[in-house]
Amino acid sequence: MTDIANIAAVARREYTFRVRTRSFIFGTIALLVAVVAIALAPVIIRALDRNLSERIALYVAATDLAGDPATTLSALLNASTGTSAASPDEPPDFVVTTAPDLAAARQAVVAGDSTAALEIDRGADRDLVFTFYTNANPRSPTAGLVRQATTAIAVSDRLARLGVAPSDQTGLFAPTGFSVAPPDPAKSAPTQSASEMFGQDMLSFGMTILIFMMIILYGQWVAMSVVEEKSSRVMEVILNAATPFQLLTGKVLGVGAVALTQYGALLLTGAIALLLQGEIATVVLGETGSAAGLPQGLTIGLLLLFCLYGILGFLLFAVLYAAAASLVSRQEDVNSIVMPMTLIATAGYMIGVYAAMGLLDIKAGWIVALSQVPFVSPFMMLGRITSGQALIWEVVLSVTLLVVTIVGALWLAARVYAAGVLLYGQRPGVKAILRLVVSGS
Amino acid sequence: MTLAIDGLTKRFGDVQALDGVDFTVRPGGILGFLGANGAGKTTTMRIILGFLRADSGTVSWCDRDARVWPRRTWGYMPEERGLYVRMPVVDQLIFFGSLYGMPRRDARRVALDWLARFRIAELADRRAESLSKGNQQKVQFIATILHDPDVVLMDEPFVGLDPINVALLKEAFVELRDRGKTLIFSTHQLDQAEELCDSVAIIDHGRVVASGSTRDVKRSTGHQVVRVTTARDGDLAWLRALPHVTVTRPGEDYTELRVDAGADPQAILRAAMAKGDDVLRFEVADPSLEEVFVERVGALDLAERTLATPEVRS
Repeated sequence: MTDIANIAAVARREYTFRVRTRSFIFGTIALLVAVVAIALAPVIIRALDRNLSERIALYVAATDLAGDPATTLSALLNASTGTSAASPDEPPDFVVTTAPDLAAARQAVVAGDSTAALEIDRGADRDLVFTFYTNANPRSPTAGLVRQATTAIAVSDRLARLGVAPSDQTGLFAPTGFSVAPPDPAKSAPTQSASEMFGQDMLSFGMTILIFMMIILYGQWVAMSVVEEKSSRVMEVILNAATPFQLLTGKVLGVGAVALTQYGALLLTGAIALLLQGEIATVVLGETGSAAGLPQGLTIGLLLLFCLYGILGFLLFAVLYAAAASLVSRQEDVNSIVMPMTLIATAGYMIGVYAAMGLLDIKAGWIVALSQVPFVSPFMMLGRITSGQALIWEVVLSVTLLVVTIVGALWLAARVYAAGVLLYGQRPGVKAILRLVVSGS
Repeated sequence: MTLAIDGLTKRFGDVQALDGVDFTVRPGGILGFLGANGAGKTTTMRIILGFLRADSGTVSWCDRDARVWPRRTWGYMPEERGLYVRMPVVDQLIFFGSLYGMPRRDARRVALDWLARFRIAELADRRAESLSKGNQQKVQFIATILHDPDVVLMDEPFVGLDPINVALLKEAFVELRDRGKTLIFSTHQLDQAEELCDSVAIIDHGRVVASGSTRDVKRSTGHQVVRVTTARDGDLAWLRALPHVTVTRPGEDYTELRVDAGADPQAILRAAMAKGDDVLRFEVADPSLEEVFVERVGALDLAERTLATPEVRS
């Protein structure tokens, strides 16, 4: 009974004190602004970008070219970026104008009036020759798009010279049928489109980052809070009233509640911003664009698993951060004593993110095995779940292992904490810590 | 119905911090716990409170093991003061009270009462770090007794207080004692112990070298002190010639003498009168605690350890 009352009292103090600190309030506001900015990034980019067209001056020396090369080039370039000159609301990405004089066209690029100039000439072998005058990187996207477009114009020109009528050429450039299928005949063809799969990768990637940040940031808070009580010597005062176990548990839960508050606010704001993206785009841009909505593949179940792994991962690391911090007496020593745990978390996070992004084979045996190891499973399971690799029993097993490990860590941490909180001055060696844990005082 | 400390030993690595500590405190009493830094006072207090486990020995309160009593039985003011520096005073007092099971509203009321008594009511909503050292110490004392503990242990409660605040704190001690509370405090200021404590325990090198009622301890050396003033002062030769008498303080006002155990102080008066001088003052007293302490522990020893190793906490 006193356990619960005291844990609640400690957690309450931790929570109310933390959420009132200036750093928490301003930090949360800054994060909220960042989340809204990220969620509305497409709208913002379009708003900034909408009057920016790349102006390309075209000088055609090959006067016998069929059709209007400026129109053809404009159509080819804008088709590749999904905009078109016909769109009523939005100016096209590329505006192609015909220049009567190459020298003037090049001067316009130098002066910055146009982005680039393109010269079309016919070589000695009657093939078209293109020269692109630009200050931009030759490997820039614009240069790449122009190269593609000029190739199409050149091929079309060759075909015309071979006697293929323009009306027959459209068939030649029609897209071919192309599909992707799994090698295993037992599995059905993937129903996901490439963009859906990409969306899910990004989803598990983002969730893993959020879990990692929660563990590292708030774990550090727990560690700092422990050392604060030690360095201000208030520890001895509260130790008379509460047991080390109560202090440790209350502190971890209090900081955890602060973390949940901040994350809840961030996720809720992000979701609202995403859902309102269409409406905001309409107001800001005056266009009826397609609403992006929530990320694809984000189900309630996945959200719950995200919360579960995030909370369990935080609890596991936070109790160990607290125990480690109880062994030092000064703020400066906190980072070095929690370093081993931070390294483990970082390693798990890197592997988890690489696997989720497809840089590591998520089906490899060692990844599957590692995804059950409690200290790294919070970073690895979400990637395996979103890619459909994790079976139900694997999820259940990893959660069970996490819970068991947390209970063990809590027991160990309470003993280290009990021994550590009254230690001042020199940091004890590994042997001394072990002796403290065994003897209990 | 006593706090009984029986045969405590504790070893930290190579250091024998406690080597058989025994003493008892009766309820409603104030015990002065006297010793140099590093003598074992803090370790003894931490063992009484259950923060540390003794290697051997027992602590009992009202004939039951001290550890079975609920935490609200105990109040503790550690030597190193500790408050949440960035938390408002009254908020942290409420927090401390709630840890002992006090409803928050009661904790608030009692805390404000005590703050008013200590004349710092207006500081209730200030952060602890903005308070002067003396005021922080008063808050620390309130944190110690807010939950109305039966046994209060305090490590050097008077250090850093000005005379007015020392008087306020002494008043609070006496009031707590009159309400039947048991108080134990350590101190270097032996005159304060002498004034407040009905019993004392002197600890040195982890061992209690004298304990019991203040009067018994003062008499434990067997010496007596005589203060004498005669009309023809300044001539001390006749005093120095007396057997079993040592001149400890030749002064303008009076001369202080130590009379060995078993010797009769009245012999000095008789000698003075036989000499024909007018005796203006003649006083027989017990030695002061300081004298007892010096004799038991050694004055130089106390000063050296106090100055040289203030960081030793055992």
